[in-house]
Amino acid sequence: MNFERVVFGFFIILTLSLNAAFVAHGLEAAAHHNVWILTLAIIANLVAIGLRLGDRSETGALLLASGLVAGALLITARIIWIVTVPSGWGVPEVGAMADIISIARGALVANIIATAILVGDTLLSRR
Amino acid sequence: MTTTSDLDRVGMILLRYMRRPLFVLLFVYSVGIIGMVLMPGRVVDGETTHMDLFHAFYFFTYTATTTGFGELPNGFSDEQRLWTIFCLYTGAIAWFYAIGSLINLVQNPHFIQSMDGFRFARKVRRNAEPFVILCGFGDAGSLLARGLSDHRMRAVILDVDPERIKALGVRDYTVAMPGLCADASAPKHLLAAGVEHPACRALVTLTNDDDTNLKIAVMARHLNPRLRVICRSTSTRHGATLRALDNVTVVDPFMIFAQLLYWVIARSELHNLNAWFVGAPGVTLGAPLRVPQGEWILCGFGRMGHRIHRCLHDHGIGVRVIDPGEGSDETETEGDPVLAQADHSALEAAGIGDAAGIVAAMNRDADNLSTLLSVNELNPDVFRIVRQNSHANQVVFDAARTDLVLQHSLTTARRILKLLISPLIQELIDWLAQREPTRTEALVARLQAAVGDEPPHLWSVRLNPDEAPAVTRLLSEEGMVTPGALCRDARAFSQALPCEMLAIRREGQSIMLPDADFPLGAGDELLFCGVQAAELMLQATLHNPYTLHYVLTGVDPPRGYVFTWLADRFGGRCRGNTSNSRHPRT
Repeated sequence: MNFERVVFGFFIILTLSLNAAFVAHGLEAAAHHNVWILTLAIIANLVAIGLRLGDRSETGALLLASGLVAGALLITARIIWIVTVPSGWGVPEVGAMADIISIARGALVANIIATAILVGDTLLSRR
Repeated sequence: MTTTSDLDRVGMILLRYMRRPLFVLLFVYSVGIIGMVLMPGRVVDGETTHMDLFHAFYFFTYTATTTGFGELPNGFSDEQRLWTIFCLYTGAIAWFYAIGSLINLVQNPHFIQSMDGFRFARKVRRNAEPFVILCGFGDAGSLLARGLSDHRMRAVILDVDPERIKALGVRDYTVAMPGLCADASAPKHLLAAGVEHPACRALVTLTNDDDTNLKIAVMARHLNPRLRVICRSTSTRHGATLRALDNVTVVDPFMIFAQLLYWVIARSELHNLNAWFVGAPGVTLGAPLRVPQGEWILCGFGRMGHRIHRCLHDHGIGVRVIDPGEGSDETETEGDPVLAQADHSALEAAGIGDAAGIVAAMNRDADNLSTLLSVNELNPDVFRIVRQNSHANQVVFDAARTDLVLQHSLTTARRILKLLISPLIQELIDWLAQREPTRTEALVARLQAAVGDEPPHLWSVRLNPDEAPAVTRLLSEEGMVTPGALCRDARAFSQALPCEMLAIRREGQSIMLPDADFPLGAGDELLFCGVQAAELMLQATLHNPYTLHYVLTGVDPPRGYVFTWLADRFGGRCRGNTSNSRHPRT
């Protein structure tokens, strides 16, 4: 068992899970989407990116790229949330909520790809 | 240079053939068009109209080609209609004449030949893949082309016999193999075949005539001194001339045949390994032929017979010769050759009863096969080796009860293929041939353990940044890489990949069967033998620095900066965590 793989796999899969939890259910119903989950997903994603820095292998490069895509999209979604809720506490209006969720769903695709690469790489090395 | 000359020839033939028909067309068109303009047309408002030049040309074009749109742009007068009749007949006849000449031209053999040459040269010039020029497409040539096709190597083929080039057209090769029916000893054909092409890897001359082969080799040397030339030559005089040139490899089919025969008789383990490497059908590694010891009978004492006799004699194997005696005035053998056709009585006279084996090596298949029948009747226990001359007789030789059939075109083609595809393999075989048989047996045992019953897969790897980036970087950082480490399975440190490193080529020097801890250097060319899947696994090791580190040390290195820093900071404790738990427990 490789300790680095455990830590990295934990953060990659945590990002995916939080992202999925955030975008689940319909677009408009703001009550279905918790801003804390989005924030935690961003943090987990940033940690995963940090852990991958310095990897010289091809799969490492691909994992870093997909992590950066997911991070960029999640942060964009969070910024829209901040901009559309000026008072700090509350929920965005329906149109802004739809934007946030669709961007976060895009990030979900990038996270699925990252997880698939991680699992595939581990299975191929068969150790 | 060569292509323009071909194109010039095509153009010249075209012009010479089409000159008269074109003149006829021009004349008929001019007369018809001018006449049409001059003919008075209908009277409109009291004035006679005339057709203008453009409409006259338009009218003549559709009339002469028998299209006939009718009277355009206006209705014709009777004079114009009269002229139309003239135009129609002369124009149609002129066109038929021109078309007939054109058809005649495309059937002209000279024209077809120059068109073929032009197309061939264009195909070769546009080809960017590495290729080999093959002069002579007989038995050996076609076998070699088949072998090259199996290895996805392109060939450009020249042969003087149009039938062979036609046969080439219907072969199902995996890569494009353009062929031209031409005399390969003519320099312009060699140029058309791409002697100066940057992607040309080698030129192989395989015609049956030694003089032609020598001529082609010499021409090619002058045209492109850096090009590698492999030349078939059975003449010792030519062979000496050619060997004096660098970049020229002489391949003597009789010599190869004699050498192979010697290996069969005295070094069966080496013959077995060689046959397994070249993928001969029905060969199992580690199961050499059981060849009895004793005196051998050699039927046929021509050029091949002489070489076989010398080769066997030099290695201390007793040979009795049977030969019809036609033209073999040089009797350098000690003992008396039986001067007769190799029939019943001659075989008995040569002592077939107590001989270990017989080699039927005459240059006619029918003679060899009939000798074989007599041998089967006289002494069926004797070891029978028979020479097959013509590839077309394969079925008969397969059906004949023999212990081994050796076909010299096949052995030649295989030798050349080895020289072209993996020259190190031939060097390895030659190296083993000069050493005691136990070395070969040890190698066979290693290969058996690594590869098992799979057919061999040979491949070579060059330690350069393209093919092995991880290894070259490690070597430039003063790291050490060994054959044993590279052949380790990246999935389990204690196990080896199903492959063996056979040889290393370093700056023109070859290192055969390197030890497991031999230090490799950047730029080395490594030859591997193993199963197909091992090549992919090895590629992962060569490309991925972490996999390479693992096979070298058995430790999975930390990948990211964070874990590298942690490993440096908390040295011992963390290395225990990051390392793979499956250390070699030896």
